Amino acid sequence: MKRPLRRNDAIANIGFILGDDAVAVIDPGGSAREGRQLRAAIRALTDRPIRYVVLTHVHPDHIFGAAVFGDDHPDFVGHVKLPGALAQRGDYYLRRLREALGNEAGGSEVVAPTILVSTRLDLDLGGRRLTLRAHGPAHTDNDLTIFDEKTHTFWLADLLFVDRIPVIDGSLVGWLKELREVTAIPADRAVPGHGPVSVQWPGAAEPERRYLEAVARDTRAAIKAGVGIADAWRHVANSERGRWLLFDDYHPRNVTAAYKELEWE
Amino acid sequence: MTRSMAIFLLVILTFGGAARAEPTEAERMARWSDLRHAIFGDRVVENAGDLVAIDAPARAEDAAIVPVAIRVAETLAPEIRGFYLIIDDNPSPLAAHFMLGPIADAREIATRVRIDDYTYLRAVAETADGPLYMAARFIKAAGGCSAPASKDQALALERLGKMKLSFGDRGRPNEPLKVKLLISHPNSSGLQMDQVTRHYTPADFMQTLEVTYNGQAVFRLESDIAISEDPSFNFRVRPSDPTGPGVINAEVLDSSQRHFSQSWPVPAAAQM
Repeated sequence: MKRPLRRNDAIANIGFILGDDAVAVIDPGGSAREGRQLRAAIRALTDRPIRYVVLTHVHPDHIFGAAVFGDDHPDFVGHVKLPGALAQRGDYYLRRLREALGNEAGGSEVVAPTILVSTRLDLDLGGRRLTLRAHGPAHTDNDLTIFDEKTHTFWLADLLFVDRIPVIDGSLVGWLKELREVTAIPADRAVPGHGPVSVQWPGAAEPERRYLEAVARDTRAAIKAGVGIADAWRHVANSERGRWLLFDDYHPRNVTAAYKELEWE
Repeated sequence: MTRSMAIFLLVILTFGGAARAEPTEAERMARWSDLRHAIFGDRVVENAGDLVAIDAPARAEDAAIVPVAIRVAETLAPEIRGFYLIIDDNPSPLAAHFMLGPIADAREIATRVRIDDYTYLRAVAETADGPLYMAARFIKAAGGCSAPASKDQALALERLGKMKLSFGDRGRPNEPLKVKLLISHPNSSGLQMDQVTRHYTPADFMQTLEVTYNGQAVFRLESDIAISEDPSFNFRVRPSDPTGPGVINAEVLDSSQRHFSQSWPVPAAAQM
């Protein structure tokens, strides 16, 4: 299952949205190097100011390019719970990034959000309004999504995984709940955090819902049957094997997370 | 985005750390020798052979939640007064010291721990007046102590100190009561630094846990940051009245001097 990773080494979808007056970056990428590439792509297209850098959640593959945009003096926009998550995890992620990338990690920093979103926030880019929603615990406890009203594009970030196995790092039950709510919002297309850059909505969320529900159902059954946390994954969502990239790499850990959450029910 | 970045992400989410220089077996033995001396002084620690076993996955799916079970042969179990759980290469190697009360059944006790690096994991069983018996196994896991654990910080605060207890059937009077206890507590290690404030999140962990059945001691645990977030324990009780009703009580004292206590009724065994 690792071959697709080698063919296509980008792992998170990052990008920007251009208004008449300003630009909003949606996730600056996983390192300063990637952030610089994104900034160069923006500057090849426009001189308009980069007014916002939206950090969709705490995971390093989405946000470690943020510092590159410091000289643009944007507002960094994050979920109201992002500062807490960064406080807990930022240092750890940064140390691991430096271990993994060496010199390539240079300039990658933890950047604190300057605007926090607790429920909803509209950003005006000039003739183009973005609606940001702060979600309850799902993929992480600090997930933001972005709706572009001009093109009816719903940027779900890591609330939506397509082809690549979803990673549970917030709340499984919460994710299923958020998924029910976001799939009720009509859009012409969606942008997942991982997978193709544009997918049909809400149809593209169906495999993720199916996987998460299978994990919830089978993990509850394993807990009830007295199967321990270390072995539970062997009994959970086996029907999903072969349907996702990186299944064997992330599935056991997802079940560990699900078990730890659901054993309190 | 680079391929190394993709692998990095996989590594931190699954095993918690990148590969590093491994100590030699001789260095590992020297470390254990130091630890043994620090914990047990000059007391002899014998190899447990088949008498004591320590079970844990050879490779952990999540280094911050590694299940560990200590099992004791039935013939030796009545002699056991306590267990030491030692994780050689953790920042604080003595992870747990269980002191068993008269109605504990020592055949099995289990918990979940954080593991910071590839390490030996050891269970040392203490008999009443006799020797110490050790079982060891090597485990591949890394980053568990400094790794962020809490996935939902609001829930962790809201649920702090709450406990959940479940137990198996009381069908046969000669069988012990099998109990599973969960305690909602971040058990934070104090090893996470806030990059913005440059301060460490203070350590906040369970220091002692005392479990009783009808007022009689089942066990007292002294522990620290190596126990996973939301500590979990499986243990066995042999009530002095094997079929009568009972009450299990658990008392927790944490490093912030918080005290939590909860009790659960155990119905009498159904008439055979």
